[in-house]
Amino acid sequence: MITNRKRLSSGLSVTSKVFVRSRNGNALKIVREHYLRNDIPCYSHACHKCQEIVKPDAQGQLPKFILSSSPTKTKDGVSHYVVIDTNIILHAIDLLENTQCFYDVIVPQTVLEEVRNRSFPIYQRLRNLVKSEDKRFVVFHNEYNEATYVNREKGQSINDRNDHAIRKVASWFNSHLNTENSPTPIHIIFICNDVDNCTKAKQEGIDARSLVDYIDSLPNGEDLRDLIPSDIVLPGNFEGDQNETVFPEYYSNARIMAGIKNGTLYQGMLNISSYNYLQGTVSVPAFKKPLLIIGSKNLNRAFNSDSVIVELLPKDKWKEPSSTIIEEGSIGADDNAGDDEDDLGEETGGVVSDKERVFLAQEAMKATSSKTNESRLQPTAKIVGVVRRSWRYYVGQIAPSSVSEETGHSSRSCFVILMDKLLPKVRIRTRKAKEYLGQRIVIVVDSWPSNSRYPNGHFVRTLGEIESAEAETEALLLEHDVEYRPFSKNVLDCLPKEGDNWVVPDMTDPQDPQLKKRVDLRDRLVCSIDPPGCVDIDDALHARVLPNGNYEVGVHIADVTHFVKPNTALDQEGASRGTSVYLVDKRIDMLPMLLGTNLCSLKPFVDRFAFSVIWELDENANILKVDYMKSVIKSRQAFSYEQAQLRIDDPTQTDELTNSMRVLLKLSKKLKQGRMDAGALNLASPEVKVHMDSETSDPQEVEIKKLLETNSLVEEFMLFANISVARKIYDSYPQTAMLRRHAPPPATNFETLNDMLNVRKNGMSISLESSKALADSLDRIVDPNDPYFNTLIRIMSTRCMMAAEYFPSGSYGYPEFRHYGLAVDIYTHFTSPIRRYCDVVVHRQLAGAIGYENLDLSHRDKQRMEMIVKNINKRHRNAQFAGRSSIEYYVGQVMRNNEAEHEGYVIKCFNNGIVVLVPKFGVEGLIKLETMGDLATANYNEDKYELTFTDLKGAQRTVAMFDKVTVDVKSVKDEVSGKRRAQLMLR
Amino acid sequence: MELYSPEGLRIDGRRWNELRRFECKINTHPHSADGSSYVEQGNTKIICMVRGPMEPAMKSQVNATSSTVEVNVSLANFSTFERKKRSKTDKRITELKTTLERTFNECIMGHLYPRTLISVTVQVLAQDGGLLAAMTNAVTLALIDAGIAMYDYVSGVNAGLYDQTSALLDLNTLEENDMCSLTIGVIGKSEKLALVVLEDKLPLDRLESVLAIAIAGSHRIRELMDMEVRKHGNMRLAKVSV
Amino acid sequence: MSRSIEISENQRKFLLESLKHGFRLTDRPFDHVRDISLYLSPTEYGYVEVSWGKTKLACRVTATVTTPYEDRPFEGIFTINSEISTMASMRFDTSRSNEEILIARIIEKAVRRSNSLDLESLCIIAGEKVWEITVDLNYLNYDGNFIDVGCFAVMLALHHFKKPDISINGNSIVVHDINERQPVPLSILHIPICLTYSFYNLTDKESNIKGEDADEICLLDADLLEELNRDGSLVITLNKNRELIQLSKNGGLPISAQQFLELTFKSMKTIDQLTDLIKTKIKEHEELRYKTENFKLLEASADR
Repeated sequence: MITNRKRLSSGLSVTSKVFVRSRNGNALKIVREHYLRNDIPCYSHACHKCQEIVKPDAQGQLPKFILSSSPTKTKDGVSHYVVIDTNIILHAIDLLENTQCFYDVIVPQTVLEEVRNRSFPIYQRLRNLVKSEDKRFVVFHNEYNEATYVNREKGQSINDRNDHAIRKVASWFNSHLNTENSPTPIHIIFICNDVDNCTKAKQEGIDARSLVDYIDSLPNGEDLRDLIPSDIVLPGNFEGDQNETVFPEYYSNARIMAGIKNGTLYQGMLNISSYNYLQGTVSVPAFKKPLLIIGSKNLNRAFNSDSVIVELLPKDKWKEPSSTIIEEGSIGADDNAGDDEDDLGEETGGVVSDKERVFLAQEAMKATSSKTNESRLQPTAKIVGVVRRSWRYYVGQIAPSSVSEETGHSSRSCFVILMDKLLPKVRIRTRKAKEYLGQRIVIVVDSWPSNSRYPNGHFVRTLGEIESAEAETEALLLEHDVEYRPFSKNVLDCLPKEGDNWVVPDMTDPQDPQLKKRVDLRDRLVCSIDPPGCVDIDDALHARVLPNGNYEVGVHIADVTHFVKPNTALDQEGASRGTSVYLVDKRIDMLPMLLGTNLCSLKPFVDRFAFSVIWELDENANILKVDYMKSVIKSRQAFSYEQAQLRIDDPTQTDELTNSMRVLLKLSKKLKQGRMDAGALNLASPEVKVHMDSETSDPQEVEIKKLLETNSLVEEFMLFANISVARKIYDSYPQTAMLRRHAPPPATNFETLNDMLNVRKNGMSISLESSKALADSLDRIVDPNDPYFNTLIRIMSTRCMMAAEYFPSGSYGYPEFRHYGLAVDIYTHFTSPIRRYCDVVVHRQLAGAIGYENLDLSHRDKQRMEMIVKNINKRHRNAQFAGRSSIEYYVGQVMRNNEAEHEGYVIKCFNNGIVVLVPKFGVEGLIKLETMGDLATANYNEDKYELTFTDLKGAQRTVAMFDKVTVDVKSVKDEVSGKRRAQLMLR
Repeated sequence: MELYSPEGLRIDGRRWNELRRFECKINTHPHSADGSSYVEQGNTKIICMVRGPMEPAMKSQVNATSSTVEVNVSLANFSTFERKKRSKTDKRITELKTTLERTFNECIMGHLYPRTLISVTVQVLAQDGGLLAAMTNAVTLALIDAGIAMYDYVSGVNAGLYDQTSALLDLNTLEENDMCSLTIGVIGKSEKLALVVLEDKLPLDRLESVLAIAIAGSHRIRELMDMEVRKHGNMRLAKVSV
Repeated sequence: MSRSIEISENQRKFLLESLKHGFRLTDRPFDHVRDISLYLSPTEYGYVEVSWGKTKLACRVTATVTTPYEDRPFEGIFTINSEISTMASMRFDTSRSNEEILIARIIEKAVRRSNSLDLESLCIIAGEKVWEITVDLNYLNYDGNFIDVGCFAVMLALHHFKKPDISINGNSIVVHDINERQPVPLSILHIPICLTYSFYNLTDKESNIKGEDADEICLLDADLLEELNRDGSLVITLNKNRELIQLSKNGGLPISAQQFLELTFKSMKTIDQLTDLIKTKIKEHEELRYKTENFKLLEASADR
């Protein structure tokens, strides 16, 4: 490269920088001006000359001279400055930030630019070191300094030229400080780990040392030696292939179909482990245990809940599920988001990062070193195709470390960390990265090319500041795919024109033929019992004594299907939303408020349409007769659970209504006993209620929900009604009746729990022979010293259960209709049509079964029913998770004011941490080993489920499954995800 | 790349208040035009040619009291780093053209040349930031070379604001793409602005500092242009008085 | 061929004399804007009509789904079309004069280049489908100052407009009718307002250039007569956050830097007023719509 320098003035000359950049496959020649100057100071206090050549910057400030005139000395008493090379910074940035060493360091501009290209987060840390001034780091712009500028020689590679430039800096400083300008000689030490570079430097008369040599030469070198990061050495035969720059391509469709047909490939849904983001499982019917997928290469760009195709690995590659907690933050923290503009051909290191390889290698070594129990090995597979992506709108926030300080106009790449911890970071390009910091934003994932470590996406909109109530609520709803936007105009047209003024029409009106089929039950003493403050009243009850001594009991449900006709916009909206969602402070309706809280709601003192189930029961609550009818009722009173309980218990109340309530209570107890005898399960979940301050609506206190007898009263009759209706509609529509089932839990689900009980609690176990056996064995698992233990086991058992699901009756045989938890042979949901779409369908089917009106075709067609069922199952799940997240968030807020010590129980053990459940708040938290004690001394005994380590005070400590522990509960805000969560510290 | 490092150096090594290399020549096309000039500001290279005062081609251009200035701007296809075809009626070109026409209409002593047309052709060979400023300078020099009477030089330069704090003088393309740029045309040694164009956002409170450095830069450019004109003048004088 | 509007010498001199004595022909203060009247369509989203005095124009916003530019795969497309037909004035004809192009260019710089509409939020599927928002300005009557009125109308229409809701299924998208799902307003980041100042030189050119005193008269919002007689103009675009969006002084009468700075600072007051006008008008309109169309019944979330 021939230099064509032009002198502009005595201090300034200009040359040109010419290079070729490739963009989209085209090669472009870029020519830029490059000014060389001689007024760049050396920033050393020891230098006299440079003080005179400095010029002020845009703010009028002169550059500060930082390098000390009496810098630190080596062991041999030599005061020195350090010139540092790129790789040292990239690998040992922590050591550079350490306050015990590395003062007076010169960073050449060439090195700074290389670091910026390779890892933006590390570049930012370096810049912060320079800014803070106490470590006395300076950046020396050698590229612009006339004396230190080097040209690329013919045949020289870019890297060699850069190395030459860096060496020139060292030699320039040497001559500048020692022969010309300063009184005391200051030695320049050039630190570089590259052997080649070091040799060349020594030839040029520069004192070049490797990092280890330099540290050794310091007075406190002994202490620092351990902090030097060891070079990454991979064990010899790890995974073999060197070509890790791309993910393996997915198999073609033809190959996949053939594979599935002949049984070599399997399809299933991917579940990423919540504690180890590099591990996932896929359940396939062919294998008892779910297939294990370990490592990002085998996960091959699949997201959590994607529908994937897997291929089994050969048996020698099978592994056991990891017992280590691996979080994405620890591995991917230093990765670069962008393809920088001036990429001069640096490799990005492939799709599998070095850190990940180290972790996996460690795991592999552990597996081979310890005596691996054969039974722990699980069939391991790799993902070779994705059938359906589960991509949707995701909520996240921009990772602060991937955004630079400058506010430019050009668009930059940055990382977005998603709220859902099971998903990877997503790379987006935006012009306004800096403005979005600290806000929750919504993004969409576009693609994950095989040569990229992270998926690509784009920005959709912003929700607001992190931790502001609106942003958090919206984020929660979006994350759980809950439709919360207002209903459309078309829906409005489906509502009755009278709106709020609608009343039940005159029953004797001859115009409406349907009205004749309704039964007038307004003379019955109907009342409703619901949670306090409830405005959408679905159900009401009545009871009376018949002349023959038996009881007539009626359950009346809001007649929603009178207003929601099939194939209308209103119906479609309801079907799509599937269910109402209950958050702590908000309710998202499935149907417009007009219906839910007024026209359908069985409010007291007004006539309302209802769908009624009337039984004739004997003393022992046996069914003698059952009738279903559309009716008109008038509720006499709307009670809360407490009010109803007080009324029943008050002996002075002897009016007919109260007496009928007592009858209901008596019968409900009989019903409950009957269910328990049949083997119904009584499982506990840590449900809590948050009390808000009435004035400021700040969360104040958390209360565990208490159950009264009246809760049980309503529950029993609702169950009773559901069962009766289920039988009726199955009878009329054996192929398409909307039912609900609960499969029995497979034995494998309980294996681990039973093993743990066996080992830790001396042979206690949970029997799975039948639901009755399960219930009884659960009753027997008691710790005489700890009454809560039984509840704890019940909570853990709930998690081993299968989820209940809706299904059309034609999909399974009669034995599969069984609802395990309730111990009934057939079941459905009928009693809450205002907030569940399943109940709307059941109402229509029941109306058809009793001949009230024709059942719409869509509810008689099996395909359509399958689609409806799939949707409502999904929505039901999402609503549950959303409700739980909302509680979690508010509990987190309450804990802000309530930081204290609480009791907890260990419910999971890993080799680098434990999970503790705190019953008072119903939350569980992960406690990492680093916060409890010394990581190096940890020993996890998998067979005995106990973790031994040396704690922070130096004492030996053991924690194991089911242990009761004391924890400090704090509410902390995760800086990266912005989520507030409970942080537990073991005492 | 750091556009303005904390040590005070920009992406090409200049400081905040330094102009790029400014070079100009006049009378570069003595045979094809009445007045011509060639200006290089950094890597932005412009040729300008002036013909006139002459008889206007269209009757509509006849102005009874003053001369009419017509400017034609042409951006070469190879002038940016990616080859791009430009049409003559591109909106941006029209805007530049109109701006130059109106600016010089005010500065030329038009009343001395009534009913005539002065035709200016600006040819852009390379663009690297500061296009309008360089064009203004080129046109000024070409008009001087053509001997058309003007009240004073019109010198142009652009300046920008980096990161809401630091004003930078004479931006190149990389800097222009990333921050706001203010182009001004200053009349002579005064502080009168003939031309002000700001594209992209600039906080109102920072306008003054950016304007100040831009005016200082324009004055410096005027000096450089003046030096070249006088040098050229002396050279021609020397040739004549042999 | 467009006929230029001819002003007689007498009219011209009369105008300049009255300016010299400190008042405009319409008896408006020098730094006041004319009376503004706005009309927002109650039936469709995105149609507005704006009048400043006698200058009137109509503005309509439409949205379609299209493929994005290749080099900007994650941004939507936003274009502003302005057409001045002879309906506005005899001065304009079917061929695009420089005047028109300048007006269009300034409005484009003010609204489009300054990113007042967030293009990133218009992306549907990156690289494949994005929203293309087109704004059509139709100038109905010309009485001076198309730039300011045009920019104001564009911002008002963008606030008024709502785009249809969409849902994405894998790689195909479904655009919902406005009756099927409530339409979504656009994401507008800031509101740029243009103000045009016109300059008049009362002395001759030489003393203007060489002289020290700033003797020029400066008017805000010139009407037709004033515009045809001016010696120079300056368009300042600001938003409420005290950010200068653009400045255009395309030649014309030179003014001193001092006076220039003063003008920019003075403009803030008018900018604030006009921005507030847009916001209140839109808010009023929304409330009216809410009432007349019974939106309350369609709310889906409620406090517990």
